[in-house]
Amino acid sequence: MMDQSSITMTAPVAGADRIKSIDTIRGVALLGILLMNIPGFGINQDFWYPLVTGPRSGADYYTFAAVFTLFEGTMRGLFSMLFGAGMVLFMMNKKEMPGHPSVAEYYYRRLLWLVFFGVINAFVILWPGDILFYYGLSGMLLFPFRKLQPKWLIGIALLCVAFGMIKSQWNYDETRDKRKAYKEAQQAKMEKKELTPEQQAAIGTWEEIEKSQKPDTAATNKNLRKMQSGYATIFSYFIPMNTNYEINYMYGNPWDLLCMMFLGMALFGLGFFSNKLKTSTYALCMLIGYGIGLPVAWMIFDQFYMDFGNPGGYMDLWTSSHPVFTEFRRIPLTLGHASLVMLIFRSRLVPWLMKALANVGQMAFTNYLMQSVICTFFFYGYGFGYYNKLSFHQLYYVVGAVWLFQLIFSSIWLRFFRFGPFEWLWRSLTYWKRQPMRR
Amino acid sequence: MHPSPSPSPGEPVENIAKPSGVQPGFNSLDVIRGFALFGLLLISAWEFGGFTFNEQLFYHNGTHGGNYKLMQLVSWLVEGKMSALLALVFGAGILLFLRKKEFPVPISPADAHIRRMLWLMAFGVFNAFILLWPGDILFPFGVMGILLFAFTRMKSRGLFIAAIVCMLIYCGKQYWNYSDDKKDYRKYTAVMAVEKKFKADSSSRARKDSLDRTKDTVLLKDTLLQNKRLDSIARKNDTLTKKQAEEKASWEGKIKSLKYDSATTQAAKKMMRDSWQKIAYQLMPRSQQKESTWLYKTGIWEIGMMVFLGMALLGIGFFSPRFSSSKYLLIGLVALAAGFALAWLRLSLQCSRLADYAQYIEKKSIPYNQLYPLEILLSATGYAALIAGLLRTKIFTLAGKALAAAGRMALSLYVLQTITCTLFFYGHGFGYYGSLQQWELYLFVAEVVLVQTVFAIFWLRYYKQGPLEWIWNCAVYRKWLPNRISNKQE
Repeated sequence: MMDQSSITMTAPVAGADRIKSIDTIRGVALLGILLMNIPGFGINQDFWYPLVTGPRSGADYYTFAAVFTLFEGTMRGLFSMLFGAGMVLFMMNKKEMPGHPSVAEYYYRRLLWLVFFGVINAFVILWPGDILFYYGLSGMLLFPFRKLQPKWLIGIALLCVAFGMIKSQWNYDETRDKRKAYKEAQQAKMEKKELTPEQQAAIGTWEEIEKSQKPDTAATNKNLRKMQSGYATIFSYFIPMNTNYEINYMYGNPWDLLCMMFLGMALFGLGFFSNKLKTSTYALCMLIGYGIGLPVAWMIFDQFYMDFGNPGGYMDLWTSSHPVFTEFRRIPLTLGHASLVMLIFRSRLVPWLMKALANVGQMAFTNYLMQSVICTFFFYGYGFGYYNKLSFHQLYYVVGAVWLFQLIFSSIWLRFFRFGPFEWLWRSLTYWKRQPMRR
Repeated sequence: MHPSPSPSPGEPVENIAKPSGVQPGFNSLDVIRGFALFGLLLISAWEFGGFTFNEQLFYHNGTHGGNYKLMQLVSWLVEGKMSALLALVFGAGILLFLRKKEFPVPISPADAHIRRMLWLMAFGVFNAFILLWPGDILFPFGVMGILLFAFTRMKSRGLFIAAIVCMLIYCGKQYWNYSDDKKDYRKYTAVMAVEKKFKADSSSRARKDSLDRTKDTVLLKDTLLQNKRLDSIARKNDTLTKKQAEEKASWEGKIKSLKYDSATTQAAKKMMRDSWQKIAYQLMPRSQQKESTWLYKTGIWEIGMMVFLGMALLGIGFFSPRFSSSKYLLIGLVALAAGFALAWLRLSLQCSRLADYAQYIEKKSIPYNQLYPLEILLSATGYAALIAGLLRTKIFTLAGKALAAAGRMALSLYVLQTITCTLFFYGHGFGYYGSLQQWELYLFVAEVVLVQTVFAIFWLRYYKQGPLEWIWNCAVYRKWLPNRISNKQE
């Protein structure tokens, strides 16, 4: 399915030979990812509490509902899919040259640099939400699977989903056992029985959990104070956080990224991203994707997110938690988004916008890092210090501004240069040779 | 556990340390691997058999008798060096594997290598979570094999530099951890000073209170009330804040973990003599910790530096028969002497650290294990050189052959060690956990080594590869490969 002949591409990925549709979707994903990242950049993490406990109205609530129903996880998902597709593309585009490092070696060098850039993004640019680190490492696992047929890749993706679900359910069961122990201890207390040390511990454990789900004034104050400080303070404040994320996300939940990457490889093999399917197929994909994804997404938002302030009640009600089934929402929605973009791309309705998005997508790496740079400077104390100063919906004005800037910047830049600045750096490092840059 | 450098029949390997003529039948890499595999068991047996860090503290804190000396001797000569040696051979083996010209199926060397590493990780997960060995090294080795694939074409000079950079970063991390301890200690002393002041305050207040009581009738009522109010404010301020209490507890916890605790031993014994399910549940966090946090913070540098070094050594022909014997001798003696000197330093610093850590922190500017990375790097190199050199003399041919056989099926034997040890020590087997003396543990190791060596020699008479190596290759090449030797060789 994925042999060289199926796609007519030979030259290195620069200029006219790029697959425009892929760049366009990547542009959408890249911009969309900021929708989910902006709260991490700009607002204290307990922002959701008033939204969840307050009245279901107001600009903040509607923004919250729209973003978390429509986009949560899907933009990362889209990005992961394209990463998987890009990996296959990279391997296909390069020809083995005798006496030179093999394509596989370039692939692994490229990914190791990506891991390095991820570390820089997290520890130097100070963005704990970095994904490059995980993409670099996950990409290293994809390599042996690149030649598999799409049906096998889909099978592996589903296997990843299953792993993620089992693990998630496990964690939920564990917490739920703590809840049960707590309730039993409470029952005994009501009956005026003397509590065993275990029962007392159970009460303490659950109360800690309950407390950790509520806003903590001391922690909030500390966080705000730190985020309004200078670079050195935030730098050392983030070290343990970054470390823990990189360890626990990579080791604990790689399935989130891997399932989407495998799916992306499969879809690429089927010609989905290279604009090869029939319009009716894309339309059908969109309908099915949104048809399943939207109701499930609303259900999860309504029953899970809006009940977030009430872990005890939630656990008493549900034997399995909504996040266990998150992929039933994320995969269809992501597919829906991708199909929608493909349909617009095909229809040639807004060619200027598609062109601009393709430019953003072509220098996605630069734009991703640029988002970190802009947002950290805008929000953190050593920059403009807008951290936690905007309300939730106002954050999305910043998103709009960044989008506009990146759309214009990318279009201008690519008029003069062949790659984005960081793409150029990345390429030069991978091939360990200065690459031509100017058009 | 490693891409076996010994060519299986039908897979001619070039550029290999082919022991042509002089010592037929084995090469130095296999021998070193076999040696390291058995040496490693000496240290693993501590944890398998219940001679835990806590138990070791018992001898550190007690009278330094024979048991203590034996423990220090093993730590001096062996601890940390054997896994380093394995990583070194692993690195060299990767390069040899990638240079192979023929594979059982049409496949690029890169593909074969990455698949091997993925399966190695899978074996590691099995070894850690099913066979219940939290000290598993297969998973970290597999990860490092993938991570460092990008460096396999580097020149020896670059690889040496990479090894040294990793070693320096590792040393730096040791210092960083120490400075965290130092910070904790400083915070603790600050809290203690505050607490001391509180005690003084409250005793002076108590005195004043009793004075007040006697003067009750004399003093004006207003003054009395005013005093009481001030007192209650002072009392409220007298207790440590939550942060101060945490800082105090943090250091006290650290100190406590450096003291022998019989309750810990009892709990460990009870746990490890329980059923498989219970042990699995209890050990799971430790295995996860090793595969995630340890690998991220320490393993990358510890394994990385040795893999780089192994690749570099292969590049300069260290494992080739043309490498001169005098160089082996020189490298071996110098590196081992330096390594042992550093190990001596580590043990003596460790001794004063365990005697009184607070005092250690006040006096010493470096942690006890500051140069541990350099120590294991040098010692492993020294051992490798010495073994390779000794193989040149005829005396060790027999031992060399035996170790080479073990080294050729290192993966099988490594996993077999886990099976043997868990069955012997854990509750779902014979449950000898914690009931063997230290020297008895070493006897047990000797027994296992003997049995494994004999097993390896006999197995390789009839089969081309060890049982797990065979499964590994079948999985990597997705093909049923013949393993039996049809016509007996020699």
